[in-house]
Amino acid sequence: MSSKTETLIDIRGLKKTFPVKASVFSSKSIPLKAVDGVNVQIKKGETLGLVGESGCGKTTVGRCVLRLYEPDRGRVWLDPDPAVVAEVEQFDLEYEQLQSQLDDVIASGRVRGAGQKTRELRNQIRKNRNIARRKAMQQDILSMGRDQMHKMRRNVQMVFQDPWASLNPQMVVSDIIGEGPHTYGTHKGARLNKWVMELLDKVGLPRNAANRYPHEFSGGQRQRIGIARALALTPKLIVCDEPVSALDVSVQAQIVNLLISLQDDFELAYLFIAHDLSVVQYISDRVAVMYLGKIVELGTGEQLYNNPRHPYTISLLGSIPVADPEIKTQERILEGDVPSPVNPPKGCTFHPRCPNRIESCSQIIPLLEKSRDGHVIACHNPPNG
Amino acid sequence: MDNVLEVKDLATYFFMHDYIIRAVDGVDFTLGRGETLGIVGESGCGKSITSMSMMRLVPDPPGRIISGEISLKGRDILKISDDEMRKVRGNEISMIFQEPMTSLNPVFTIGFQISEVLRLHRDIGKQDAITEAARLLRMVGMSDPEERVNEYPFQLSGGLRQRAMIAIAMACEPTVMIADEPTTALDVTIQAQILRLMRQLKETKDTSIAFITHDLAVIASFTDRVMVMYAGVAVETSTVHEIFKNPLHPYTQGLLGSVPVLGDRKVNADGSRKLLNAIPGSLPDARRFPRGCRFAPRCPKAMKKCWEAEPATVEVAPGHQVRCFLHHDEVRVISKRDLGAAGKRVLKNQQKNSGKKKSSADGSKTDTPTARN
Ligand SMILES: Nc1ncnc2c1ncn2[C@@H]1O[C@H](COP(=O)(O)OP(=O)(O)OP(=O)(O)O)[C@@H](O)[C@H]1O
Ligand SMILES: Nc1ncnc2c1ncn2[C@@H]1O[C@H](COP(=O)(O)OP(=O)(O)OP(=O)(O)O)[C@@H](O)[C@H]1O
Ligand code: SF4
Ligand code: SF4
Ligand SMILES: [Mg+2]
Ligand SMILES: [Mg+2]
Repeated sequence: MSSKTETLIDIRGLKKTFPVKASVFSSKSIPLKAVDGVNVQIKKGETLGLVGESGCGKTTVGRCVLRLYEPDRGRVWLDPDPAVVAEVEQFDLEYEQLQSQLDDVIASGRVRGAGQKTRELRNQIRKNRNIARRKAMQQDILSMGRDQMHKMRRNVQMVFQDPWASLNPQMVVSDIIGEGPHTYGTHKGARLNKWVMELLDKVGLPRNAANRYPHEFSGGQRQRIGIARALALTPKLIVCDEPVSALDVSVQAQIVNLLISLQDDFELAYLFIAHDLSVVQYISDRVAVMYLGKIVELGTGEQLYNNPRHPYTISLLGSIPVADPEIKTQERILEGDVPSPVNPPKGCTFHPRCPNRIESCSQIIPLLEKSRDGHVIACHNPPNG
Repeated sequence: MDNVLEVKDLATYFFMHDYIIRAVDGVDFTLGRGETLGIVGESGCGKSITSMSMMRLVPDPPGRIISGEISLKGRDILKISDDEMRKVRGNEISMIFQEPMTSLNPVFTIGFQISEVLRLHRDIGKQDAITEAARLLRMVGMSDPEERVNEYPFQLSGGLRQRAMIAIAMACEPTVMIADEPTTALDVTIQAQILRLMRQLKETKDTSIAFITHDLAVIASFTDRVMVMYAGVAVETSTVHEIFKNPLHPYTQGLLGSVPVLGDRKVNADGSRKLLNAIPGSLPDARRFPRGCRFAPRCPKAMKKCWEAEPATVEVAPGHQVRCFLHHDEVRVISKRDLGAAGKRVLKNQQKNSGKKKSSADGSKTDTPTARN
């Protein structure tokens, strides 16, 4: 796989909030920061793993990439041309400046000329946004119009966690798998039929599965149907949201093996979301660890396992029991629960649970920076320097 | 180690309208004082029904314990009256479930629910019971227990609810505690907290625990002995060390090969991607098991006889039982038991009866001579 160096997906500054009710009794809503500034790239043919505890925003990232959720902020570049990205970035920078100028003017209140200034800035901002959008819309999934979205969907597909809920119970398997190629006109008539059979072979289902309904299949088999459906348009990226979490260990292994073999056949990239670090580490080239809407550590599976640097990753690894009765270490147990994303702690959001915190941790948000061996962490005071 | 619990040839079936589900079909195990037995196997293999049988909480109808003996400190609890059983439950044997939300009552405070358990089994006043409840909550690591007693289950996080469940289960210091996937719904960092708590309790109170999970890593780190279940039967039982270092049953071997180990190498020597040793296929339908060994359709070592008859359970080394023809080598076998015979009788009867009254509207009420209750 020589293409593994080219960027397929470049996620920049992704933010998504959900409005939630302030309390059971109030009608006021407050923002819940589900994803709070995620930056990460996926290369062609690569598997990027995304791990973290329940509610940290993994699914939201995956869904924003396909625009199943509409993000508040950020860009998701698909097959980006670096020149375009750089250009749009300039506009985004200018936008940030204009916006902060506008905020200043508004904050200064009713001084002379403020109204005029506000109008001017608003105009500039509108112009800026329009140009940026026009320049980005061929490549930035989040700026795409209807037509571009239609094209994009061929290249980016999704496999869901729940094999019971994600397949239309009223459609037979061949229609479920063939729906995409039919809509896009990539395969027709007898050729479509042949393609569906080929896909059934690829995912290890019997050919007579074609005329049966989803309820006639086990969880593992349904997940195979979901994978065949995702493959049908030969996409470049499949977002796999906990594709094996609902399955038994033996079936889980079958699906993991299937995903690995398909990757070589189809030159696929995966965004592989799961909370089971051992599965993620096994299947991924690189792994990103999320905590409360942010990536806190990103590196190759080996780097993360052999040399975890972020205190949260270290605790996460320390919490996982080892499948070897000789090793009974479970020493670095994290205390407390994950804080609520509605009201996240100031500074580093991990600081209330962090054994390594220093004074600045509760004040200043740490940014992702390259650590000594080349993987990136966001931490003011990583253990061992 | 003296055994506080001995389960012999336990079989629990569900008598559905036109078929029988053999959920548990001949299971044998013991639990020593202070010992932790792990019960592992795939979804639907009968782990929960085994534990519900021990609590005598199998929904009846359609479920029924059709054979077996469950002796708790020498007394067969399958033979005692429902009233007596109510006293045993929560007092001598208690249970923690996977989803605490379904077993905690949403309309009562945590404190009330714990104090009710205490008042049922102990001669203790209302106020004292609440104080005692707060003490128990502190014991399971809750901060501000005096305030928590007034909270409702929905006000607690998943980890705290599970702590409350453990507090209830431990309230009367039971001899045996059954934990059915107590940490499966929790995040790993919370799971680590709960496992540490259970380890502390078991060490201070000498509680015997039957710990059900499908997570082999949890089994390895938490249990002393392991029973591997497949399709309603125990296929291998031994010490945790033996199970992981010297697994004998092909299913146990397959299960161990299916899980990726953190830090495993992912490429072969020739540079190709390494695959997991997945077991092909899936669990057979509990309505109609294959004729011979239930694992034969998925077994890489299946022989001709595996398709013809069910293997008996043999003891190949002290405390190491296997149910597989590969180990029916007479020289090594210490003892041999044909489990699940009662089930076969029931099935035969059922077939005879359904042959007689084919058009009977009520197929589930078929008489079974070995049935209890
Ligand atoms: N549609 C929604 N409306 C309101 N809040 C939401 C919605 N979807 C997600 N959230 C909230 O956003 C946060 C992130 O959720 P998300 O589903 O992305 O987490 P996750 O990492 O996928 O968790 P899990 O491991 O449980 O699947 C959570 O706090 C969740 O409650
Ligand atoms: N109330 C019921 N009525 C009918 N069949 C049942 C009932 N409860 C369980 N069964 C069946 O009994 C068998 C064993 O179920 P059990 O719940 O013990 O499995 P398990 O090993 O605990 O699985 P899991 O890991 O999914 O919890 C299954 O085939 C199941 O479908
Ligand atoms: S920034 Fe501070 S609180 Fe956050 S992980 Fe690093 S040391 Fe801990
Ligand atoms: S009895 Fe035969 S089919 Fe069953 S596990 Fe042993 S070798 Fe495999
Ligand atoms: Mg999710
Ligand atoms: Mg169960």
